[in-house]
Amino acid sequence: MLIPHRLNAEIGKRIGSAMSQLNPSLSDHVAGLLAIAKQKNAKIVEDFFPDVPDGPLKQTALAIISAWYLGVVSDAPDAEVFAFEYALMYQPTRDVMTIPSYAISGPNGWSSNAPPLSDMPEF
Amino acid sequence: MASDSSADVVIVGTGVVGCLVAERALDAGLSVLMLEAGPRVDRWRIVENYRNLPPSMRLFHWDAPYPPKPWAPHLETRVAKESEQYLQLEGPNARAYLQGYVRYAGGATWHWAGICWRLTPEDMRLKSLYGVGRDWPFGHDVLEPYYTAAEYAIGVCGPSDPALQWPPNAERSKPYPMGPIPFGPGETRLTEAAARIGMMNLPAPQARNSGVSYHGRPPCCGNNNCFPVCPIAAKYDAATALPKIEAKGGKILANAVVYRVETGEKNAVEAVHYFDPNKVSHRVTAKLFVIACNGIETPKLLLLSKDDRNSNGVANSSDQVGRNMMDQPKLFAEVELAEPLWTGVGPVQSSSILNTTQGEFRNRYAGAMFRMENFARSPLGSAAALKKGLVGKALDTEIRRLSACTARLTVEHEPLPLPINRLTLSSKTDWLGINKPNIYYDVSDYVRRSAKEYTVPRLQQLASELGATSFQLSPEFLNSDHIMGGCIMGSEAATAVVDADCRAHDHQNLFLPGGGAMPSGTASNSTLTMAALALKAADAITAQLKHG
Repeated sequence: MLIPHRLNAEIGKRIGSAMSQLNPSLSDHVAGLLAIAKQKNAKIVEDFFPDVPDGPLKQTALAIISAWYLGVVSDAPDAEVFAFEYALMYQPTRDVMTIPSYAISGPNGWSSNAPPLSDMPEF
Repeated sequence: MASDSSADVVIVGTGVVGCLVAERALDAGLSVLMLEAGPRVDRWRIVENYRNLPPSMRLFHWDAPYPPKPWAPHLETRVAKESEQYLQLEGPNARAYLQGYVRYAGGATWHWAGICWRLTPEDMRLKSLYGVGRDWPFGHDVLEPYYTAAEYAIGVCGPSDPALQWPPNAERSKPYPMGPIPFGPGETRLTEAAARIGMMNLPAPQARNSGVSYHGRPPCCGNNNCFPVCPIAAKYDAATALPKIEAKGGKILANAVVYRVETGEKNAVEAVHYFDPNKVSHRVTAKLFVIACNGIETPKLLLLSKDDRNSNGVANSSDQVGRNMMDQPKLFAEVELAEPLWTGVGPVQSSSILNTTQGEFRNRYAGAMFRMENFARSPLGSAAALKKGLVGKALDTEIRRLSACTARLTVEHEPLPLPINRLTLSSKTDWLGINKPNIYYDVSDYVRRSAKEYTVPRLQQLASELGATSFQLSPEFLNSDHIMGGCIMGSEAATAVVDADCRAHDHQNLFLPGGGAMPSGTASNSTLTMAALALKAADAITAQLKHG
């Protein structure tokens, strides 16, 4: 509900278990967020996020989103990485920008062409 | 055949310089033993280390995938405290000498960008032409064949059109072995914008295979990860050279930390001594010794080796060992643009502006090289968009915008060889009890004047031509990881450490090729010149051992 994209269940499990260790109230917060979403009949995050109050609920929501995008629960020097190529941060630019260390094409298979900003990839 | 304790030629260090000398010596029929302080590690391990770094460690902490062994420490930068552990830095620009190199078999070539500029004839005559720095003891025409040989030895791709080659005023004896690597959208836009204000962005000659495989390495596929490691070995790194050296009969001993050079009769070098990881000392003899363990470790080792005959340290009757430390002091600007630029397509560096390095102004201030970092900015864009607390479509839109419409523009200044910029032995010691290097660094008024009067205004102009809506300049000079000058070359034994072949003036069987020997730093990347000097030294070494 927080992230309008196809998500990998394995990564989700690992993020969930790491986050609940850091934040014992995680499941309460998730229940709170779902309650607001239900109350607003939300289909996408934009339908209910403005109604999430500032404070622990909103912080947890942003932390969950951040973990899916960055592939880490916290971006500390010794943090455990849950996702590299599946981290969502690479997806909004994946039609142009390389996921570092993964080739996007073949030998000299790139050019100076780039689609407009408005062409958001589906993911 | 070399043994673990003796060879015709013993080479300390397994970076590009050591590897090139080793191959040439082996080809000439000499036995070779290479000693490497650090471990020998497989590429997949480094790639895995890299992918398992948290995002903020991936872009600007090239040392992070290379954890050092206790016996071979190098700079680590994950946290501030860690970066103070090995290199001891002082002086007004200590931060600009925070040099990243890895003490692994293969050396700093693991995480170099692969850029292979040649010097210009003028770069080698700073004293004669502009009254600053030092002249080289030979001209560009002497170096040219070695440049060409180095380009073929490590596999450098570059443009065939002379109008796009550097230097513009010195002919090449052969074309590049491979054609240029194509530009991505960002480099194309930069080239167009720069040209409008008289700055010529050239396709960089790179030790990266372009369109074809070369020397058993595959063609570059644009993995955009040249540093901290090329995952497919399309870029030359010395790790790919080590098996070739072994196939030719060379021996490579990893985890062997050389800590003393021993001299004997007639002040010839008799042996080097190394510690193994159990702190047991070993003595290795040879007819001739090459110390090529980079611009910091080589002078450190020479200073550590002082004896009755060489009270200032080995090769140091001139008192120049460890002086004249150079690197290009770097500034960068983070810019936000009105229109998309799109970095992150192709290699992380693939072009530079060099016509700004040359001119009569060099009698007053430093020349400089300008370029744009071409790494994918998606992690930076994502972190910035997440910080804004955005969600849903707004988050994705802002990530895409901030990734495409931002850039880092870099300027690297030409340093002068100044005796005051000096490496000495720190009283602090490492795990083996070996003194850590201590370096005093002042970029000098020559560079500060350049930044003030020339490069920062030019950088602002370039950003503005690209359509910048914001411009944030780095607050101080930073390192470029091109360590030069500490074993400086010159024809006079009284004022230089090595001669024109990188032979120590004080010891006829000791060679110190590499960046340390370079009498001028110039604004461009140093590796190809180091490689050319290695091949020049290799000719002298084989001639000396074959013909006496």
